[in-house]
Amino acid sequence: MTEHGHDHHHPRPDSQVALRARALEALLAEKGLVAADAIDAVVELYERDVGPQNGARVVARAWTDPAFRERLLADGTKAVAELGFGGVEADTLVAVANTPTVHNVVVCTLCSCYPWPVLGLPPTWYKSPPYRARMVAEPRAVLREFGLELPDEVEIRVWDSSAEVRYLVVPMRPAGTDGLTEEALSALVTRDCMIGTAVPQAGSP
Amino acid sequence: MDGIHDLGGMHGFGAVVTPVGEAPYHEPWEARVFALHLLVGMEHLGARPGGRATREEMDPVDYLAASYYERWLWSAEQGLLRKGTIAAGEVEHMMERLAAGGPEPPPHRDPDQAARAVEWLGEGNPMQPATRPRFAPGQGVRVRRMRPAGHTRCPRYVRGAHGVVERVRGADELPDLAVYSKDAPVEPVYAVVFRSDELWGRGEEPPWTVALDLWESYLEEAE
Repeated sequence: MTEHGHDHHHPRPDSQVALRARALEALLAEKGLVAADAIDAVVELYERDVGPQNGARVVARAWTDPAFRERLLADGTKAVAELGFGGVEADTLVAVANTPTVHNVVVCTLCSCYPWPVLGLPPTWYKSPPYRARMVAEPRAVLREFGLELPDEVEIRVWDSSAEVRYLVVPMRPAGTDGLTEEALSALVTRDCMIGTAVPQAGSP
Repeated sequence: MDGIHDLGGMHGFGAVVTPVGEAPYHEPWEARVFALHLLVGMEHLGARPGGRATREEMDPVDYLAASYYERWLWSAEQGLLRKGTIAAGEVEHMMERLAAGGPEPPPHRDPDQAARAVEWLGEGNPMQPATRPRFAPGQGVRVRRMRPAGHTRCPRYVRGAHGVVERVRGADELPDLAVYSKDAPVEPVYAVVFRSDELWGRGEEPPWTVALDLWESYLEEAE
């Protein structure tokens, strides 16, 4: 977005932090070090091409192709590369599958690490102190905030992605979806299903 | 470093689900700071220890008061200053110039940099297989007690706790040293699983498990 466009949509004066951001970009442009079109390209990449639609395709493939599912759970990095996904922040990708007895959920307590190539950029809540503080210490209370109640006998497995491994939750395929195509199935797989704060519903979203 | 960023288990931050929590960012400048920081990294314009470990050095009051991308803006600027890519006062000078309606710098375009950025972001650098791991899957381990002054990936809440190695993940440079120097040792990394009562005691919720990937030097044999 151009500065002109920005001013047009936000007639209030820039806040100090927005002004500081604009000044740093201008300074590096003046020095010929960081180009406006390179910034545009990176912003567009994560707004347009790289997002949870990628991970949803991975999950839908795993639901319909047992051999792919096996490869995905054995080596997530290689398996998602079959669909053309990979890169920075999924250098080593591990897919963890939900079962009737285990529900996986991902957090990063130290930072906000997140598998960009399959999920895009994290939502604000994922990066917020409450999520980072609470998910490892009171997972059921946090999941309840998301409207997810799991039976007591289901083991919740919280993955704290504090190292260089990034996690993708492979949810269970909902009942009543037998006739659906891979594409229709992928529409049921929301971002939160692949973080672990939701489970897919037949007939959603 | 035992800073404010090491949040696991802390109380008092309130609700996770809030009306403004869904989007990755809310203002256009946030996306541009994100991209700018990545490009500063790609072009090696910032100093070690890089964005993440630099953000951990933020004053804790400022860290909690800042939005996510304000922290990124801060770490980008710190890295650029420490490397000498920009000089002290230059950002403030440009802020005054822009706020006064002064001339914008002429547009800087670099299609090659744009193309390199997209290619670079698509390239992964997977962990290598571990050679001679000290611990085996199924083995009990204890996380060492420590209080490192610098960057670490060993959160406070697992230190001293007993867990079980579930898998040898691979081998990776020890980040505690790698962020500061090119000569960091490569160590096995293990997926270690902890029971909730070992970490937090018995609470109101049915037991759960927490799994983390930990470098070999964070671990010792369980007695």
